[in-house]
Amino acid sequence: MDEATLTLESLQAQLAAQQSTFEMHQAMNVEVFYWWCTAIMLMIHAGFLAYEMGASRSKNALAAGIKNILALAVIIPTFYLFGWWIYNAFPGGLIPVNASAALPWSSSMGPDLSDMGTGIFWAAFALFGATTGSILSGAVIERIRVSAFLILTVFLGSAIWILAGAWGWHPDGWLLTDFGYHDVGASGVVHAVAGFFTLGVLINLGARKGKFINGIAQTIAPHSLPMTLIGLMMIIFGFFGFLGGCIIFNGGETGWTTIYNTPTNLSAFAFNTLMGFSGGIIGCYIATRDPFWTMSGGLVGIISVAAGLDLYSPSLAFIIAVCMGFAAVWFAKFLEKRGIDDAVGAVAVHGFTGFVAVILVGVFAGGTPNMGENPEISFLGQTLSAVIMALLGFVPGYGLSLLLKKFNSLRVPESAEDLGIDEVELLAKPYPESNTPASVASDVPNKLANVEPQGI
Amino acid sequence: MGTSITTWENATAYFTFADSPVMLGLFAIGAAGIVVGLIASIIRHENEAFKKHK
Repeated sequence: MDEATLTLESLQAQLAAQQSTFEMHQAMNVEVFYWWCTAIMLMIHAGFLAYEMGASRSKNALAAGIKNILALAVIIPTFYLFGWWIYNAFPGGLIPVNASAALPWSSSMGPDLSDMGTGIFWAAFALFGATTGSILSGAVIERIRVSAFLILTVFLGSAIWILAGAWGWHPDGWLLTDFGYHDVGASGVVHAVAGFFTLGVLINLGARKGKFINGIAQTIAPHSLPMTLIGLMMIIFGFFGFLGGCIIFNGGETGWTTIYNTPTNLSAFAFNTLMGFSGGIIGCYIATRDPFWTMSGGLVGIISVAAGLDLYSPSLAFIIAVCMGFAAVWFAKFLEKRGIDDAVGAVAVHGFTGFVAVILVGVFAGGTPNMGENPEISFLGQTLSAVIMALLGFVPGYGLSLLLKKFNSLRVPESAEDLGIDEVELLAKPYPESNTPASVASDVPNKLANVEPQGI
Repeated sequence: MGTSITTWENATAYFTFADSPVMLGLFAIGAAGIVVGLIASIIRHENEAFKKHK
């Protein structure tokens, strides 16, 4: 433009146009960020798929895999149908508030040129839900009916955890407004809830045939430990999408905040995610010297510091993760001695670790202020919240699985368990050219039970 | 037949049937029915498969 024609009005118009362009690009950046977080989170499911198929005996490998694939397929639509509504409707407890915009017949729940947030946040939350539903999946391999698993995982992934999310993550969530709850990386709302839901299911489901002989736990060795280890590492990769999705990318001058609107940044998350990952591996390795537990330790470490990712000093996060590596192994042994057959240690890795992680924020970061009128973080508030998360997972998990058991719909028949679910239900073999028989007896010592194996 | 806009000028929610909550509700019921139907079909398949291998 010719300088001679510049007027105050024309400059204001140019400024407004640039401001509009900037805001559009900022909104697009928000969408781009959560789009890729969601995509990276799918790696968690690729990881669960490999990890659980590997952890099964070969006669059940495909049944374990089909569970994972179908879990994604049912949680995504059900999260669209009612999960997102639950998050928006139940921050105050069990009485819903008006959240009609989150219902599937709302014009907000679809392509909308004036809304560059709802779809991408829904997608990230739907994948959080799918992750939560998949935590149950590994623990119950080799004996649960696929139909029963899908019913349970829909409840867990599209209803129960997101109710916990409404209470503990929503800006009006009562755990935040009453207790100052702090759980930025979902140690409680995802992992503790899913882990204790799983415990409730395992009590009713029972152990795999041959797991306990005369009350002594036996090793049922994974048919492919390498596949399991690679799967676990893929889950760790996916965690970066998961934890990235937990941080809020704000427009304007605000920058990054936690889901509680307190200031933070990705650097804080980077420090403590990686330090927790490393610490958990070390703790579990020293506690077991077992490859499966060593790699699971990476998960333990991240989950153990996830609730306070924004607050911990990295060295403290590392120490917490090492200690929780030991503690998770101890808890897994504790459960196994009580006859609970958790095939992948999900209750210890997710439930127990998530539960303690929430309390540890109260121990180490108590007194940290929240925004607005919300109370500060406290030991008592975190402890009460952790108990609520555990109960919110355990009670429906136990109740619903008990109901399925009463209708003889929870567990496959013994004959199917003997033959393998792949052959009976899927009519497929994972390795058709292999002649390796599936076997319970193993010469691999059970490092958790610390006893010599016994044949059957 | 389901378009909800006649122009892109000032368009907001532009997806099919966005202006018809009744139709969106029917689609939601249909989607829910598919999920329920999937699980029901798996239950039936499991019962048949387990009976064959008794």
